[in-house]
This record gives sequence, C-alpha cells and structure tokens, in this order.
Amino acid sequence: MTSKYVFKRTVFDSISFAYVCSILLVALLHPTEETLLEMGRNFAIFGALLVTGVGISLGLGRLKVGTLGHTIFAPSHAKNHEDTTPTFLRFSTWHLIITLLLTILVGANQTKFSFYELTDPGGFAGAIRLFKGISNPNFAIFPMAVLKIIETFFIAFMATLLAIPIAFIGSFFCAKNIMKTPVTFGIYAVLRFFLNITRSVEALIWAIIFSVWVGIGPFAGMLALWLHSVASLTKQYSEITEAVNEGPIEGIRSTGAGFLQTIWYAIVPQIILPYVAFTIDRWDINVRMATIIGLVGGGGIGTMLIKYQGQALWPEVGCIIVVIAAVVWLMDTASAHLREALK
Amino acid sequence: MSQTILSIKNLEKTYPNGVRALKNVSFDVKQGEFLVVIGLSGSGKSTLLRCMNRLHDPTGGEIWFEGQDIAKVQGQQIRNVRKHMAMIFQHFNLIPRHSVLSNVLMGRLGYMSTLKSFFGKFSSKDRGEARKYLDLVGIGSKAHIRADQLSGGQQQRVAIARALTQEPKILLADEPVASLDPATCHTVMDYLRKVNQELGITIVCNLHFLSLVRQYATRVIALKDGELVFEGSPKDIDNAWFEKIYGEGAKEVHVN
Repeated sequence: MTSKYVFKRTVFDSISFAYVCSILLVALLHPTEETLLEMGRNFAIFGALLVTGVGISLGLGRLKVGTLGHTIFAPSHAKNHEDTTPTFLRFSTWHLIITLLLTILVGANQTKFSFYELTDPGGFAGAIRLFKGISNPNFAIFPMAVLKIIETFFIAFMATLLAIPIAFIGSFFCAKNIMKTPVTFGIYAVLRFFLNITRSVEALIWAIIFSVWVGIGPFAGMLALWLHSVASLTKQYSEITEAVNEGPIEGIRSTGAGFLQTIWYAIVPQIILPYVAFTIDRWDINVRMATIIGLVGGGGIGTMLIKYQGQALWPEVGCIIVVIAAVVWLMDTASAHLREALK
Repeated sequence: MSQTILSIKNLEKTYPNGVRALKNVSFDVKQGEFLVVIGLSGSGKSTLLRCMNRLHDPTGGEIWFEGQDIAKVQGQQIRNVRKHMAMIFQHFNLIPRHSVLSNVLMGRLGYMSTLKSFFGKFSSKDRGEARKYLDLVGIGSKAHIRADQLSGGQQQRVAIARALTQEPKILLADEPVASLDPATCHTVMDYLRKVNQELGITIVCNLHFLSLVRQYATRVIALKDGELVFEGSPKDIDNAWFEKIYGEGAKEVHVN
C-alpha cells in the first residue's frame, strides 16, 4: 500500500515538474512554430524532464520535503503532522501556486485573450450594430419562420418516434442484468460497443453524412437525429432496466413464466414510466439539436437561420431567434411539467 | 408414514465466487407435511429453496420430484417444475403497479402461451380460481387495489394466493414473515397452515424464529454452514441442539 502512494506521488510530481519546465522553456526560448511541430524531439525533451522530475521527487521525498503530490496522495499516517511551518512557507503551497499561475498564463495565451480587442471601439460598434439589428426583428419573414419551425418540430418528433421501438427492444439486449449467460453477454458487449461509437459521433457529423446520402433537407436532419436518439435512448433505457428491482423478476420466474413473459410482467411495469419521461426529454433535446443541425443542411429553421446570417440580414436573424427561443422555452416547460406528472 | 413427494440427494451448490453454500445435503420431503428449515443467515437456507425450484442451478447432486431428477433439467422442463412448486418470498415480490387480482392471475403464466399472456387474456376459469384463492386468504375485497397500497402482511397473503393459483403440489416459503411485525407474522403463518391442512399442499418453509417453528412445523431440518446438522421433530430441539445450530451463547427470541 505504501509503495502505491509513493508511485502516485512520484508520477504527479514528475509530470508537474516537466510541465512547469516546458512552459518556462517555451517562454524563454520563443521557439518558432516549426520547432514546436517537431514532435519527436519535443517528446524527447519532455521525457528527459519527466525522468529528472522522478529523480527530484524521490530526492525531495528522502529529504522529507512535502511536495504537492505528497500532500494529495499520502495517506494520513505518512504525513508529518508535527510540521509547524506556516502554510505559505511550505513547499507544497508554492508548488501549487506556481503550477496554477503558469497554467492561467498559458490559458490566456492559448485563447489569445486580449483586452485590447475587447475594448476596440471599431469592433464594439460593429457588435452594437448587429445586436441592434437582432433586437429589431423583421417580422415580415415571421410566417416563413413559423413554417420552418414546424418543420424542425416534426424533424425532432419523427426522429424520436422512430427511435423508440428500436431503442426499446435494443435496451433489453444492452442490460447487464438480462444478458447474463456467456453468449448473451457477447451480444451485449458488441451492441454496447457500436452504440458508444454511434453516440460519440456528434449528430452534427451524422447530419453532414446523411445530407450527402439523401440530399440536403429535413430528411437528412431527421435521420441524423434518429441515429443519435437510438443510441442515446438505448443507453438510457438499458440503464433503467439495469436498475430494476430483482424481487418481482424472481417472483414471476418462480411461477414457471418464460423469458418473454418475465420481461413483460416483471420488468416492463417497473420501467414504463421512466421510459416515457426519458423519451419526452429526448424529444425536447431533439428540438434544440434540430435547430443546430439545420445549420449544416439538416433542414428546418436552422437552414433558414444560416441563410440570413450569411447575408448579414440581422433583423431577419432576430425574428428567427425569437421564434426559436419561444418554441424551445415552450417545449422545455411542457416537458418539465409532463415529466413531473409522471413521477 | 406418508409417502415421499420430493427427495434431495447429496445436493451441492458452489457459487461462481467460490462460496460453497450447500455441502452434500440429503433429505426427503413427505407428502402433506409442514417442513421447516432453520439456520443462521448465510447457512444456505435460501439457496436450498432456490435450488429446489431451479431459480438457482445446483452444482451437484439429485432432486427427485414426480419420478424425475429435476436437478439438471433444462428449458421448458424447468418451467414445468416451477409450476408445480410455487414459491413465496421475504419481500413478497409482487408487481407493485398492478392490481391485487392481476398479481394473483400471474400465477397462471406458466400455463399460458406467451402471446395470450402479452394481452392479459386470462380465461374466466383462471379468474374464478384467482378470486377463490383471494377469498381463501381473506383479501377478496381488495382485488382491484394496487398491490403496493397494501400492508406487508396483506401483500404476503396476495403472494400466497398467487402461489395457490399455480395449483402447486409443494409451496416453498423463503422467510415469509421475516419482514413483518410480530402480530402480522402469526396471521400469515396461520394462512400457511390453513393451506397445508385444508388444501393438503406440502410446505417447505425457511424460518428464523424457533418459537414459530415449534408452533407450526410438523418436522424440522437445520442447516449450518451449508451442511444438514439436524433432522427431526420440533420438540426435539433442546438447548444443546439450539446452541449447536445457532452457535455458543445464542439466545432464543420469542415472538408473540
């Protein structure tokens, strides 16, 4: 056990040492982008720093100097409780402060944080103009926006609806407590693997793929959301199924009921309400995602939005935003009330 | 002596994690008796019952029931065994959102085709039986109430009615009163005795309290660490046996 914490402490200290040194090196030497892209050599330098860090950490450990890694990972009995050094004079305190401070500076540098840009009068005036445009919506296009938001609403509806039966059946095959035997567990593992991949690819990417497959428009958007919903709902459904109370299952099995009868009588009554709640929530999420997906050719109000935004027609954009906001708010409220009632 | 209805020979159960829950257990269950299994928690009582109706698979030995070794049967045959060997549980194991009557009807699932059961098409004969057994356990007036709105004792009586609807030859009862208060305890035990004496259904029941054992059992077996250590009449359990089964220094608790 002791060696385990020493290992964790050493790894932590060595990484933090190599990290701090690399930042200082970059700050001092101002390398060109070309130099920074030479991965092989840079990894070698970082590796050397890591090894040095291990040495330093072990050395400090022998000298009984409490590094930050030691403070975090050492179990209570390994800590020096007699130490009367004030907190601000301890090694671990400065270890933390220096690491944190450098990280903040690197963060500011990486995001090109600039007060100059933020307060630049020209840029600021542009933003004001745009905001003024948006806050004076041009309601001439309101009827069209309504038509398009209806399209978006039904993209989300169809995606959710068509995902339900597949996710419902699939969820049982993805529930650990049902797929217990070696063969069924194999099916479980394979299904889970594919679902995780499907889910980790953003609906936005699926929309691009489907817009090439079936052409730009609401159908592509619906298919993208459908695929994403199948993966998400299957996972959520199966988690509910995994959390069911085993008692009723045992009770129904003991009557001589078969596999499907046990699912239908012992599991389904326990899961049906949470299923409905999750489905409503998914529909709500899909309405919001359908808007975004429209930006990449998935149809609906998103496509309309990107069209006006490209032409810098801000009052029209404002009108569309008002419509989207109203519908998202309505869906959100309705779904919250529905889910509350189903509890 | 009446004839043997179920015979267990050298039964073994080792769980996948290596725990040996049953060690070479052999005994007979006689037709029409009220056999009580006693022993500490973890002595293997629940495992024994679940091996008998094959909710668990024994890892060795034989279980003879209706001229067949049911220890190794598979699929449909397991379902047939369970139909004739009903079970009630410590936590009742009803379906909370379903009505009392619907829960009792579920005792017929083993006799129905999957398709019919999906649409809840229980025959009027089944419904009649379910009503009859609900009346038998004194709960007929609550047929249309949701099962989770009943008290613990009432739920256990519904569970008994569900078991009876299976028309079983043997009723297994796993700690049927362990989660009930002492007063309700006796009501449930009295109904089990009624089932045993009036319907002639053989009962195998796990129990904690010796006072209940003396009151209701016609015969007792005791398990300790998965082994059968006692077999005999309830009145034969004297202090020496009590200490052997429950360990030195154990004190008997009375339920009244």
